[in-house]
Amino acid sequence: MVELLLPKNSRPAKGKTWPKPAGAKSLREYHIYRYDPDSDANPRIDTYFVDTSDCGPMILDGLLWIKNKVDPTLTLRRSCREGICGSCSMNINGLNTLACTKGMDDSTGAIKIYPLPHMPVVKDLVPDLSNFYAQHRAIEPWLQTTSETPKTEWKQSIEERSKLDGLYECILCACCSTSCPSYWWNGEKYLGPAALLQAYRWLIDSRDETTQARLDDLEDPFKLYRCHTIMNCAKVCPKGLNPAKAIAEIKKMMVERKVA
Amino acid sequence: MREKVITTQTIADPKTSYGDGKAASRHFIAQRWTGAVNVLLVGFLVWMVVRLAGADRAEMISVVGNPIAGIILAVLLVVALVHMRIGMVEIVEDYVQDPRTNRLSLMLNTLFCLGVGLIGVIAILKLVIWG
Repeated sequence: MVELLLPKNSRPAKGKTWPKPAGAKSLREYHIYRYDPDSDANPRIDTYFVDTSDCGPMILDGLLWIKNKVDPTLTLRRSCREGICGSCSMNINGLNTLACTKGMDDSTGAIKIYPLPHMPVVKDLVPDLSNFYAQHRAIEPWLQTTSETPKTEWKQSIEERSKLDGLYECILCACCSTSCPSYWWNGEKYLGPAALLQAYRWLIDSRDETTQARLDDLEDPFKLYRCHTIMNCAKVCPKGLNPAKAIAEIKKMMVERKVA
Repeated sequence: MREKVITTQTIADPKTSYGDGKAASRHFIAQRWTGAVNVLLVGFLVWMVVRLAGADRAEMISVVGNPIAGIILAVLLVVALVHMRIGMVEIVEDYVQDPRTNRLSLMLNTLFCLGVGLIGVIAILKLVIWG
């Protein structure tokens, strides 16, 4: 059955409150999920105070300030710090998003930061995304053709190309999939919004010639049809994409070929 | 039958299939069709209930016992049960993940729908034929 509560050893306890920085004029409180796989202790929520006059305006800036000036053991993924790489996705104030594009002044009060929900935690804010990446691999996200390769490029009209807008921009941050209750319950079998958004991206690419085989592969009660149009994916996508609409379009393609 | 073990390698290998069936689109279409038909038929049911409000048994049988009304009610019952069965299958597939409990739940769901459908249709037939 579905587990509604975390296992006992995964329930976070109250953690350490780190001292306020001396001489700071403006402080912002951060409550951060901490988990050390090398100890037997439960996860804990540590409290930090960030001197906002000494760091940038984004939540990631605050996290890096903590890591550099207060607690170097704080572990998180980050790279581009401008919403392109998708590395710093995490659950901030209850919503999955990118720490680098979320401003500290977007909310008031203490900022609560957890790793992406319902994923195994490697350490602190770093989730294990192996399954997520495997699912992306499963939809074969590359151009597949059966006709002879042209001497120059595979051509595509402007109209055909425009169909890919709103799909190709996905940065695989996993915010959508890990916000989806269907993905929480059946994450091993349901492909999830991110993988299905990419599946649709290749299904409607005018150059791809394996549409039917791709649809065959999605003809399954779990891979595709676990989507119940909850729409959390569209709500949280930090790039403003709509995976739920892409999934609905795949279902339409399935129905059309079934009734045609 | 043992549950197929799904690993990240299974998922990532395009040569393997890790899903559970091939009737998914058929169920999806059937659920939409029965849903749409239910809107019409439930409208008829609501009309009939309003029409018969306060009526005595003889008047009720004269309306429900009409063969056309009986056929529509029987179709409504069957379509609603098909819709209900598919909906419950979705819920069981979502939340009941232990293979044995899952199979048992799916079987009970089907038996319940068959039983209710059978009893309901026999009851309507009785009203139409014998009053």
